[in-house]
Amino acid sequence: MNSKLNLQKKIVYTLLILGAIVMSLPFIWLILSTFKTNKEIMGFPPTFIPNNWTIENYVDIMKNLKISRYFMNSLFLAGTKTIIGVYTSLLCGYVLAKFKFPGRDLIFQFIIFSMMVPYLIMVIPLYDMINYFEWSDSYIAIILPVFLSSFGIFMMRQYLKGIPNSLIEAARIDGAGEFMIFHKIVIPLSVNMISALSIFLFLWNWEDFLWPYLVLTTQDKYPLAVALNMFSGQNTTDYGGLFAATAITIVPILVVYLFAQKRFVEGISMSGIK
Amino acid sequence: MKNLKDKLIKNQQFLIIGVAVILMILFYSIFFLIPVFKGVLGSFYEWNPIEGTKDFIGIGNYKFLFSSPLFWISLKNTLLFTLLSVVGRTVLGLLLAVGLHSTMKGKNYLRSAYFLPVIMPIVAVSIVWKWIYHPRIGLLNMVLMMFGITGENWLGNSSLALPSVLMMTIWKDVGYAVIIFMAALLNVPKSLYEAAEIDGANKSQIFFKIVLPTIKPTIIFIVITSLISYFQSFVQIFIMTKGGPGTSTYVLSYLIYNEAFVRYNFGYASAIAVILFLIIIFITIIQKKFIIGEDE
Repeated sequence: MNSKLNLQKKIVYTLLILGAIVMSLPFIWLILSTFKTNKEIMGFPPTFIPNNWTIENYVDIMKNLKISRYFMNSLFLAGTKTIIGVYTSLLCGYVLAKFKFPGRDLIFQFIIFSMMVPYLIMVIPLYDMINYFEWSDSYIAIILPVFLSSFGIFMMRQYLKGIPNSLIEAARIDGAGEFMIFHKIVIPLSVNMISALSIFLFLWNWEDFLWPYLVLTTQDKYPLAVALNMFSGQNTTDYGGLFAATAITIVPILVVYLFAQKRFVEGISMSGIK
Repeated sequence: MKNLKDKLIKNQQFLIIGVAVILMILFYSIFFLIPVFKGVLGSFYEWNPIEGTKDFIGIGNYKFLFSSPLFWISLKNTLLFTLLSVVGRTVLGLLLAVGLHSTMKGKNYLRSAYFLPVIMPIVAVSIVWKWIYHPRIGLLNMVLMMFGITGENWLGNSSLALPSVLMMTIWKDVGYAVIIFMAALLNVPKSLYEAAEIDGANKSQIFFKIVLPTIKPTIIFIVITSLISYFQSFVQIFIMTKGGPGTSTYVLSYLIYNEAFVRYNFGYASAIAVILFLIIIFITIIQKKFIIGEDE
């Protein structure tokens, strides 16, 4: 009986390890491929570990593809959108959680509803509107439509409902203004939630593709995801360069993930609890 | 004096509520309500910004839509893709979570590996998989070759392309379900397991009679959020297949994109988007009924 149980455990364990390898192999293959020459990438039979290690692919894309420019664009866009999104989510979430006013529940219901509406039904009129305001090819067109985040407001409202009113009341009696209470008490109390939401919003903004692809026409303004699509679509034979550019999109997230794994997992788990 | 202070607090409260409410009303009007309204309205127009037309044609777009073979192919592919990816993600996610939950050693390392693809940008992942599926230099055929199996032209074969995109999607997203299910499994009270064991229940009985019912809300959560997002899957199709070969990977979102931003048929594309919208509303209503039915 016991040995049967042990065998079962071993099988489960082996399968889980195999699965984990399947999960990570594409990334390992990608990273290794970036250190191969184009000749080796196209060669047959294909190799897994590079025969001749080279960093030429990286040097090339730095020189020829302005990859650092796209990287900075992505960093700027994702950073700005995340900071704005987290702050407005806190403010709106706080007001919806802790104040009573007419129409409050209606607004909250509406925000939940907005999360279910497919993006594609809005994208055509939004595109039309951006052109009408002559905002196309500008970062305003990319940042303004995500000024608020329904998901963020929802998440913050649910969390802030749980913080004790007594803390807020005490500060009020001490004569603190409402904005002061929000900045000095509510925000510090939400540090864990803020870091979880920041991770989410940053990941989404970092990978955001369709809207910047539609709105931006000047290549110098492209974020990485859009630039990457451009390289991938071009009929070049520089596969090493494409792989290296792809790796550059992935590596920052990989590094942050390695250091802040616990936060990632906590954040994701929290999003599932309603 | 006290009255004055109360008044001051009330004014301040009025201010913070006002700022937030005005922000929300402005934002949701300009970037949500008006676009949705205009999208629905636009579906009744012959609307092409390049030709400069915007003429009311009633249900003309819808008539055209329902007689278009490409629409039906896209709808069929969307339903198939959504159904299989939801089932794949949920079932595989649950199995992996149960497996991981029961292991002692290296649980966190394994979990990290499963979660890794979830956080990766979809554009980058799609490009990587496009190359993994490459018939000559791709990783998949290379691995198959090691086992003596002849590879396929995964994305170039019209009967394999959609399943290949599906596999990649499940690979990317399953880790999210794993994390959520693992969190839910932690919340199943230990006493329930113990009681069942004392009663002589075996493992599968414990799983189906105790674990599954307890984490049912989590399963519903995963199914619903997956449904809503897979109905709109776009980037992997756009990067990997562009709807091809032929029309074998056309899904509604890609059809909308292609009609709107390649051919600039804004009106027709809006009509397709409205259909997609209706499908999602329908699913949400069913789900509401389903969950309310559960409570009673």
